[in-house]
Amino acid sequence: MRTQITSSATVMSSDAVKKRKPKVIRSEAGAPETKRGRAEGDQDVRVYNEEVELEVRDPQQDYMLYKDTCAALAKLMEEIQELKAGGAKVQSVEIEERRTQCSVHFITLKKLNRLAHMRLKKGRDQTHEAKQRVDVLHLQLQNLLYEVMHLQKEIGKCLEFRSQHEEIELVSEEEFFQEAPAEISRPHVTRDDQHQLTLARLDWELEQRKRLAEQYKMSLARKEKIQKAIEQKREYLSSLQPGLQNIMQASLPVQEYLAIPFEHMQKQAEVARHLPPPLYVLLVQAGAYGQACDKNLSVSISGDVDEAKALSRPPEDSQDDESDSDAEEEQQNTKRRRATLGVQLDDKRKEMLRRHPLSLCVDLKCKDGSVLHLFFYYLMNLNILTVKTKVSTTTDLSGAVSAGELLNSESLLNCLYASDHGKETPNPANRYQFDKVGITTFGDYVSDLGHPFVWVQKLGGLQFSSGGAQSGLTGSALSASHMERTMKLLRGRLQARLALHKQFSSLEHSIIPVSSECQHLFPAKVVSGLVRWTTMSCQEFTELGFVQHVLKAGLVHETDLFFMATVERGTARLRAAVVMNPRYPEVAPLFSLSLHWKGERSGRTDDNLQAMESEVNVFRSELQGPRPGLQLLTNQIQRLCVCLDVYLETESQVCDGSEGPKEFPREKMCLRTARGPSRLKPFKYNHPQGFFSHR
Amino acid sequence: MGPVELLHMSVFSQSFSPCGRFLAAGNNYGEIAVFSLSAALSPDASEASQKPILNFTAHDGPVFSLLSTDTHLLSAGNGEISAWSWAELIKKSTKAAWTRKPSYETSLEIPEINAMIINPKDNSLIVGGGDNNIHIMDMETGIFKSVLKGHTDYIHCLCFKEREEEILSGGEDGAVRIWDARTNRPVHCIEVFKYEECARPQFGKWISCLATDSDWMLCGGGPSLSLWHLRSMSPTSVFPLPGCQREAVFYQDLIMSVGEGPHVSHCLHGGTVKAQIPCTPSSLNTLALNLKNSEHRVMTVGGSSHQIDVFTNFSYRAFSLSF
Repeated sequence: MRTQITSSATVMSSDAVKKRKPKVIRSEAGAPETKRGRAEGDQDVRVYNEEVELEVRDPQQDYMLYKDTCAALAKLMEEIQELKAGGAKVQSVEIEERRTQCSVHFITLKKLNRLAHMRLKKGRDQTHEAKQRVDVLHLQLQNLLYEVMHLQKEIGKCLEFRSQHEEIELVSEEEFFQEAPAEISRPHVTRDDQHQLTLARLDWELEQRKRLAEQYKMSLARKEKIQKAIEQKREYLSSLQPGLQNIMQASLPVQEYLAIPFEHMQKQAEVARHLPPPLYVLLVQAGAYGQACDKNLSVSISGDVDEAKALSRPPEDSQDDESDSDAEEEQQNTKRRRATLGVQLDDKRKEMLRRHPLSLCVDLKCKDGSVLHLFFYYLMNLNILTVKTKVSTTTDLSGAVSAGELLNSESLLNCLYASDHGKETPNPANRYQFDKVGITTFGDYVSDLGHPFVWVQKLGGLQFSSGGAQSGLTGSALSASHMERTMKLLRGRLQARLALHKQFSSLEHSIIPVSSECQHLFPAKVVSGLVRWTTMSCQEFTELGFVQHVLKAGLVHETDLFFMATVERGTARLRAAVVMNPRYPEVAPLFSLSLHWKGERSGRTDDNLQAMESEVNVFRSELQGPRPGLQLLTNQIQRLCVCLDVYLETESQVCDGSEGPKEFPREKMCLRTARGPSRLKPFKYNHPQGFFSHR
Repeated sequence: MGPVELLHMSVFSQSFSPCGRFLAAGNNYGEIAVFSLSAALSPDASEASQKPILNFTAHDGPVFSLLSTDTHLLSAGNGEISAWSWAELIKKSTKAAWTRKPSYETSLEIPEINAMIINPKDNSLIVGGGDNNIHIMDMETGIFKSVLKGHTDYIHCLCFKEREEEILSGGEDGAVRIWDARTNRPVHCIEVFKYEECARPQFGKWISCLATDSDWMLCGGGPSLSLWHLRSMSPTSVFPLPGCQREAVFYQDLIMSVGEGPHVSHCLHGGTVKAQIPCTPSSLNTLALNLKNSEHRVMTVGGSSHQIDVFTNFSYRAFSLSF
């Protein structure tokens, strides 16, 4: 059909000669080849191009033509109809003419249809093209917009970028300009340009850091060198050590020869390092005092050094508990019934009362060769020092029965200072510790652990607040301030006790030892004699009838020693109850008298017996004898004998009123036998005249 | 004074101040202590008010006798008499106004002075002591104008009878001598130990206490305490007290006496012992009644103790002052 149409188009419009375009839009596959082949081959042949025609025809005209043609066709059809209706034959000429006209009109209509289609198509193509162009532009716009956004983001990122250089602390600008060399700081550039300035500063920073790194390396190298030098020297020194030891060993015989116990002191110092602080203070102070003031004092350390070393290391259970007798005592003191708890408590108690393995031994030698040994222990958990004593004498002291208590180690050091009994721990904190393990008093353990006297604590530099006046000293100063007095007191105590011991053995043999220095206190002839000298217990003393006034006056303490002296002359028997304070002879013994002669009289009932008591109790300072006053007791007893003589000889009364021979003839010389309202006898002996007078 | 000295202290003499508000006491150490009675007797008295307001050593030897005049306290020590102004003592000043010594013959041992009394008629002080004599001193001039000799042993106690102006003295020799104060001559001598009803030979013969009340005389010591009628010079009643009495006084219709034994004896004129009031000291030396002041009407006793018992109601001990 197409070919037909083409040719018909050529037939119908011969006036349009157009250059045939190779670009024929009909896109059927076969056609373009044919078309192309033909087009190339026949360039001269004119081909009717309907599309060209399309551009020249006016659509409006075509529309009018279409309308006209339709109208003509309709008219012709009507005419045909009429003719046919009029009976004309189908093949009549009019009908055939009309039919041919109709066919022509149909061809026109077909052309118009074709043109319309072609116009439509063209219009569509144009629209399509425009659309495409718009699309392309649109795409470009999108692309550009994307790019803009991208760039904006990038700019933003760039602006946000935190360079590491901002974290570096740079020196301030003024410093920088001052310090940096000109090549780096380039002030002419950097003063204007902030960027350059920052760069310059960074450069300077880098420069500085490099320099410092250099210095650091050099210092390290120096340090290494010095370390090596030190190492070398150390080796050298340690190589000397064996040599020195050899010298020390070799010098030992020399030391012994020269009697300088240097080595011994070194050893002691070595051990002393492991002493607990209070014992160390005591060691140092006692040693110093011994060296400086008292050649007869010596200090030594005893005990297990290894255990002490073990203690100073971090806790490991030491298996060496203190003595088993502790455990026995605690068994008696246990309050719990159940065995397991009791055992636990026992262990806790043992632990609490543990002694430090090292102890000090201080020896005080006296002129007569007897030695007082003092053993000082440190109770670690209770932080107190205790002391035990021992006396060793050159002569055997077993003479006197009544002297049994004198040198008893339990009571020897009682009341060295007034009211320092050593029965209770002076550390008030111990009370709380004791409560935890059920110990009621420390006194139960004193016989085993030693006495915690207050002076012992002071010698070790321990001071506990106990309500008394506190000196501001602690530690060594405290120890030093008490050392001399305490040592003197200890020595005095030992000497007093030893003297008493000797005196007692003499008294028990009914001899009152009066030394030659004290002979002047008494007349030459003393008839009354001591017949008995015994010791008493506190209980026995308090039961005596004639001592109640002393008890009421509070002059008797449990720590005192009690004795009974019996003086006799003829039928008269004088009993004297003696209270001796452990601090004899600082504190004088107190006598209470009871006379059995023609009835029983005591110092309470008889004013003269009270006067005799005064003679020995109140006027005791006359009887002290040579220093240190150790003859006080014996002088007092002798004076009692003298007074009894006076008393008996001056009694002029006879029982039954008759004047018979007196039992006791007057031998003592008295000026007056009675004086004053209470008719007292003359008990005061005057030397050297040898007569008795009244006070 | 340590506790041992206090234990052996004896109070020998007492005297009340003229106003009656203070008590002075002397002890065997030669000290005089002044106590404030008003403080001790006040309702809010404490332990401190029973201690002396003033305590000083007045003499070397014991103070066996104290006597108060209207203004002064006279104390006797070893052979000397000192006078202290009461006003000064109350102000705690211990300076003696004067000290006088009677003239003694012997010089080996200074004799003590055991008793002092005042003769108000001629304002003289009469003292007796260890030298067996009675010395009379004029209070204004201080001169010892006379000596009465007669006793053969030392004089324990003195007494004065105002109406007849007679001095009575009792001594260790067992005699009570009566002297005329105007003529200084002995009038009588009674040897009490010679009377059977009074004598107690197991003790001795000395007379250590004397008291008079108009015609009556009390005397005691070694012999029993006895009441004598002086006109007839005979004992009318004898008091059966066990110990030797050292001081006795007449008080209203009672006789109160102290001596050996820790009690104050109340006796009636008839010879019965009405009561024996227990005291702190184990034996008593001195008894004093404060009659000058009606507010502080007390009786105080002292003896072989450092405490002086105070009786507000004479029937029992109220409290004790202590040295």
